[in-house]
Amino acid sequence: MRIASTVERLPASFRDPSGFLFERDGDLLRQVNRGYRETYDHLMSSGLYKSLVREGLLIPHEEVALDLALDARAYRVIRPQRVAFISYPYEWCFSQLKRAALATLQIQKRALDCGMTLKDASSFNIQFEKGRPVLIDTLSFDRLVEGEPWEAYRQFCQHFLAPLALMTFRDVRLGRLATLYLDGVPLDMAVRLLPARAWLRFGLLLHLSLHARSQRRFAGSPVAQARRRRRMSRTALMGLIDSLEGAIRGLHWEPKGTPWAEYGLGEHYVPEAKQLKETWVDRTLARLQPGVVWDLGANVGHYSRLASRHAGLVVSMDADPAAVERNYQRVVTEGTDNILPLQVDLTNPTPDLGWALRERASLLSRGPADVLLVLALIHHLAIGNNLPLPDLAAFFARLAPWLLIEFVRKEDPRVSQLLAARRDIFPDYTPEGFEAAFEKHFLVEETLDLPGTLRRLYLMRRRPGTQSP
Amino acid sequence: MMIRPILDPLIYLDPGSGSYLLQLLIAGALGTIFAVKMFWGRIKGFFAQRLFGKKDEDSFDG
Repeated sequence: MRIASTVERLPASFRDPSGFLFERDGDLLRQVNRGYRETYDHLMSSGLYKSLVREGLLIPHEEVALDLALDARAYRVIRPQRVAFISYPYEWCFSQLKRAALATLQIQKRALDCGMTLKDASSFNIQFEKGRPVLIDTLSFDRLVEGEPWEAYRQFCQHFLAPLALMTFRDVRLGRLATLYLDGVPLDMAVRLLPARAWLRFGLLLHLSLHARSQRRFAGSPVAQARRRRRMSRTALMGLIDSLEGAIRGLHWEPKGTPWAEYGLGEHYVPEAKQLKETWVDRTLARLQPGVVWDLGANVGHYSRLASRHAGLVVSMDADPAAVERNYQRVVTEGTDNILPLQVDLTNPTPDLGWALRERASLLSRGPADVLLVLALIHHLAIGNNLPLPDLAAFFARLAPWLLIEFVRKEDPRVSQLLAARRDIFPDYTPEGFEAAFEKHFLVEETLDLPGTLRRLYLMRRRPGTQSP
Repeated sequence: MMIRPILDPLIYLDPGSGSYLLQLLIAGALGTIFAVKMFWGRIKGFFAQRLFGKKDEDSFDG
């Protein structure tokens, strides 16, 4: 083992005795423990690793020197390819969760072909890399014991099938339940929430309703006796995966009915202003050449697409599930590999969660970004959500050193609409008030008035000395 | 005086055994359905290839 380097064990992988993730001098490494030796060797030699990596279903890794290990239990040390941005199931839209579910089942099929099985089917083990779902936990596999059922069946149903069914049959916003239930939606709860028509689907009846009933009926029953009498053949295991796949494929959600899903893009701009805004954003980002852009209030990702031409990655965030769904569907159909649409409510961004609040990172701790795009959003935060401009400026300064922001005046028809049903308690919401608030944290580098509108674009740079935390 | 445990004894029971036993109970049916499906798939595939030169592909896109 090497000494005299900065080493930090990463908190998300502490549950698994097979190994764990750690960082050494900023290098992301995974220790494979000796207890996992045979399984790891089988993964690598059976052809499973190779076929999964070829299909883009498993994160590739390279083996590195054993003396990089963190402790004496090490059998191997591997360096997995780093995922550009870690996201969580409670930030995914319907299609992202569905594709993550199908990828998990596809991986399990490949594993069965090679005499292995997934011991975990946690949605947190899937990440979106270049627009596609990929398994990031190389140690999720076990050798298949003939006759044994699928160990991760319950986890798969809780992490994928139950939330997708709830989103399809009850309300798409129930996807956010994942923040409360990090090990997936309890099946008995999903069954209570689902409407009767859900049970017309045989797959849901079997894997959710009967499954929940069976959990209640057999809780604590000794399994040893049943294991002697009955076994699960490989065909039955394939049948189980096939049946789950059918159930998942049968779930659909159309992004409509939410306020933003039907929101036309740019219809409230005169064409000249829209054109000018696009050119300005495009030109500015071309000059900045950012690694990571966070597009806040991205809607369906119109400006994220412009940004993606010049950025390494655009994290395209919106609070509206339909907007995120449309954004992601476009990512898939257009094959864009550097836009990651996520459902994030800026007035309540993803917090730190899990054991000791260290298992799942907050949105802010996954930053900072290089550039922040805040277009046609400020009035929703300042007026729609009563957030004072100085607080917004301080918040944005924590997120990125560069800010492209659009200020929309009170007299703008959209803002008037926000103010129509309420008292105007925003005397400071003026261009002067906005500039005074933001100039505490940023230097204004450039401004542009959009002709025929009451909107102004700003390029701002964070004042030296005001660091992100 | 009677002293009763405060904890509900049910919390010691692992819901995992229900998931385990359910799979064993339905294993026969799942296996049979899958075998029949594969068999039909092969027959269909055989004719599709003969008649139209098409091949079934395994995709996982939603």
